[in-house]
Amino acid sequence: MGYLNNNIITVDAILTKKGRETLAKNDGSFRITQFALGDDEIDYTLYNVNHPSGSAYYGQAIDGMPLLEAFPLEQQIMKYKLVTLPRGTAKMPILDLGFSAITLQQGAQLAVTPQTLNYLGNDQIFETSGYVATIADVRTMATFEGVGISSAAATAQNSTSTTTLGTNVSSTVIGTQINLRATTINTLFGSNSTLLTTLTVIGLDSGARATVPVTITKVATT
Amino acid sequence: MSFKRLDPEDFLTSAQAVSQTVWSNNAYTLEQFFTSSTQAASVSGKYYLNLYNTSSNLDGAVTQFNIAFGDSTGRGTVLYNSDVAGYSPSRTIYGQYRSLMLEDENAVFNFGGVESTYFYAISIERSRYKESLLPGSLNLFLSGSSAAGGTLTNLQLTDNSGMVTTPSYFGVQPYYQIISGSGGLAYNKTSGTNSNNSGYTRESGSYGLFFPDTATLLLNGSALDLADNMGVSLNTGLSDNTDQDNPAKLATAISGSARFQMNCQETITSDFVFIRARNSEFNYSENPSFISGSTGEVIFNYFINNPQVFPTTIGLYNDGNDLLAVAKLSRPILKDFTKEALVRVKLDF
Repeated sequence: MGYLNNNIITVDAILTKKGRETLAKNDGSFRITQFALGDDEIDYTLYNVNHPSGSAYYGQAIDGMPLLEAFPLEQQIMKYKLVTLPRGTAKMPILDLGFSAITLQQGAQLAVTPQTLNYLGNDQIFETSGYVATIADVRTMATFEGVGISSAAATAQNSTSTTTLGTNVSSTVIGTQINLRATTINTLFGSNSTLLTTLTVIGLDSGARATVPVTITKVATT
Repeated sequence: MSFKRLDPEDFLTSAQAVSQTVWSNNAYTLEQFFTSSTQAASVSGKYYLNLYNTSSNLDGAVTQFNIAFGDSTGRGTVLYNSDVAGYSPSRTIYGQYRSLMLEDENAVFNFGGVESTYFYAISIERSRYKESLLPGSLNLFLSGSSAAGGTLTNLQLTDNSGMVTTPSYFGVQPYYQIISGSGGLAYNKTSGTNSNNSGYTRESGSYGLFFPDTATLLLNGSALDLADNMGVSLNTGLSDNTDQDNPAKLATAISGSARFQMNCQETITSDFVFIRARNSEFNYSENPSFISGSTGEVIFNYFINNPQVFPTTIGLYNDGNDLLAVAKLSRPILKDFTKEALVRVKLDF
């Protein structure tokens, strides 16, 4: 009989850029209430189900790999979350945003209505808890809002607008539909004709995630 | 479901005191002391001297502490106005520390049972310490003057925190006596002129007061002026309306010994969050390499009933799903339907 390893793993956490921002706001939004697990660096193709030494060694190439330290930018970490699904799940939920890339002219509007494929036996559904959408650079949007979810968390999140004094910060909203309107401010473009950012949408029930590039094109002034 | 709500019992707040060095370059002992002739000649030089770790005109010169001289009647410094007796920088310094430490404008500093009307104040530069100075870490070496007593006397001072269970208080200000000794304890002298084992002088009380919270040492001037192996014959100048350059005398005594040891301390409040992943939770991954093709099939058929995932990162979120903090594991841990994970995440503020 051997001893079971009952050690608690202890890790130090760092605040993300969003964490520092909410801490500075001092409006109660810096309140940790939930967690998620991620496996951003794992390449599951390294999992070798044909390992000659048997199933205990299938994950050998992953088990001992060194990990990078945490990044403070919330867009660059926790990209791939672990999800809770019934045993026997053969297909993972996938988000369909209806767009593989978004291009908007200055001031133009767009509504994104995500759907989830392969979730809980359904080919295609709208998740009841809604979707959380993050625009990486809120400066590029004149309007960025989530609608369709009336939970307290969603209402609080959607009513808290992220303002910035010219700094690139992200903004997150919750809804079944995400409304975007591109910025009308010319100075952001400088000498460029386009602005680039990303829109990341995560299903709150399924954990499925999709990121699409967003391009804002400058309207020529006469 | 990719987010799991935390229960109230998953949070723990803990405060822990940590200590570290005070002086530049993480040195426990400051061995070189420099003043600045520019600062000494400036308006601030009337009140205090800055002590640097290197020559003050070199890159990397950082003020380590200041020395000021205070006298209740304004002796030892030039009057602000020669027609107004008693009002000089030394009196201002005395009143400043009296208000700050004693909280009573009529009080007199009492050094271990003996009142004294003048003192030397050593204030540690604010940027050198975190929260407060660490009692018991003080070792201040003074080199005495050979001109007055004939023989050179050296003195090692410390606080008496190792000899008392709690500090004494002036109002809300905790303090310890500064005594002859080291590491918070008095020298165990059983004979000779200092036989009381308290580390005090024979007739002038203690060598000063140590205020850890305000990072200040008030050295008893009359004790330092003693000779006969009790003081260092500092020869404090107490003439009226005359600049006696008293801070420089103490600076010379400190510089001559070339050893000033001090640590500081800080209370770090940590939030611990206990992350519990049950056996049935977090067994599938949205990692693209976990999925084969565009239709979402898991990469290996083996994973359909025995999914194996390797969490590397823990994300902490608020109700609005903002990622507030992240923690990385040192190595991936295997998670499947037969395993549960318990990780303690530490958040320092």
